[in-house]
Amino acid sequence: MGDDTNPLMMLIWILPIILFVFYGQQIQLLVTSGEIKKGIKKLDRFRLNSKKELIDYVENNLNPTNDPTKKIEQFLDYFTIMPVDMDPSGIVEKVRHTVRSREDYTRNHIKSMSPEINDIELNRVQTLLEIASSLQMIHKIVNHMFLTAKKQKNYPLILPVQMILPFLMEHAEAMNSAIPAFKAGQPLGDGIGPMVVGKMMLNVEKEIISFQTALAKIEYEKRKLFLLKAEGPGSTVGRPDDAFQKIVDDNKIDAVIMIDAALKMEGEDSASIARGFGAAIGGIGTEKFQIEHIATQNKIPIFSIVVKQSVKEAITLMSKEIADQADNVRSQVYEMILENTTEGQSIVVIGVGNTAGVPQ
Amino acid sequence: MIFSKEKTILAYTVEKCPKCEKLNKRDFTKGDILFTNSSKCSFCGEVTTIEKIFGEVLE
Repeated sequence: MGDDTNPLMMLIWILPIILFVFYGQQIQLLVTSGEIKKGIKKLDRFRLNSKKELIDYVENNLNPTNDPTKKIEQFLDYFTIMPVDMDPSGIVEKVRHTVRSREDYTRNHIKSMSPEINDIELNRVQTLLEIASSLQMIHKIVNHMFLTAKKQKNYPLILPVQMILPFLMEHAEAMNSAIPAFKAGQPLGDGIGPMVVGKMMLNVEKEIISFQTALAKIEYEKRKLFLLKAEGPGSTVGRPDDAFQKIVDDNKIDAVIMIDAALKMEGEDSASIARGFGAAIGGIGTEKFQIEHIATQNKIPIFSIVVKQSVKEAITLMSKEIADQADNVRSQVYEMILENTTEGQSIVVIGVGNTAGVPQ
Repeated sequence: MIFSKEKTILAYTVEKCPKCEKLNKRDFTKGDILFTNSSKCSFCGEVTTIEKIFGEVLE
């Protein structure tokens, strides 16, 4: 009798097949669960660390009137419900209102913990609060998706979590690593735009044109430059859209140049510079929309210069490579002005990004 | 930890002398802010300004 007709050998072949046909998904679920569990553990560690760092910072630097732990914990669970988008008309205005209301609420909430707080500390705590809140939310969502898939023993349900987890982990790790830089008031990779424009603003009279946004006017090669950046050195991105609207209301603008950090693609070098057209500004999209809207209405071309970097580089302490590019970017801004405008024209130069640690 | 994948990043401050344009790299200290006045230049005695603040991975 040969091996292929041996009943025992047949059983050895058939059993795994039966096992995989009926329990294949559960086995895959078990294997994938292990990886996701590790990720969730890490996310939980980040969440707890960010919360601890925030509470420590508030207790050691703000002299709160009462124990801030309960208030901070309450705030971390606050959610934002985005406006309904079934009828998209006017949605940007609604989103802007919702986001700004939340920002105002956060500021008032922090002020209530420490009424004597100055603006720089307030912005710092606000950023730390946003980091802790985001990490809490990421952990909550991933954990929910994982537990739902496990509870229903539904393998396809866990696939999206498995696919998206590396990207979420990259963001979460970046946010967790950003905490020391924010606490120390150091410039971030994202601050390259404000750093370039901030240096151009030095020794020139400045005014606050919109909420947490500074404006300086200078002359360059018989052209008028309106320099805009968030008001540093606090951790803020300002409101460049409102500022741009105010400038355009009172002046005839011929070009806009935006300088920002941009996410690099895989394979691209960190701190490489690229030039292009269109509004270089991130965020939720309301500011970009507003700047594009004003530019289109007034037929103003928008040029941009971006410095490529990874998510982690953008929100952690500025790397040497990025800092070394500041002078190069500044000379490219001047070059762009000469190439695209003529004498007597007016140009708005916007340094986009978080201005933590970068004054003007 | 020897096997930890996490890299240590050290913060540095670069001061620039406005007169002799000499650069001086030192460890970042709390309160350092870009473009503000810092220590005196070791070559000419002029007050330096903070030109850059950045992080470098500890090799």
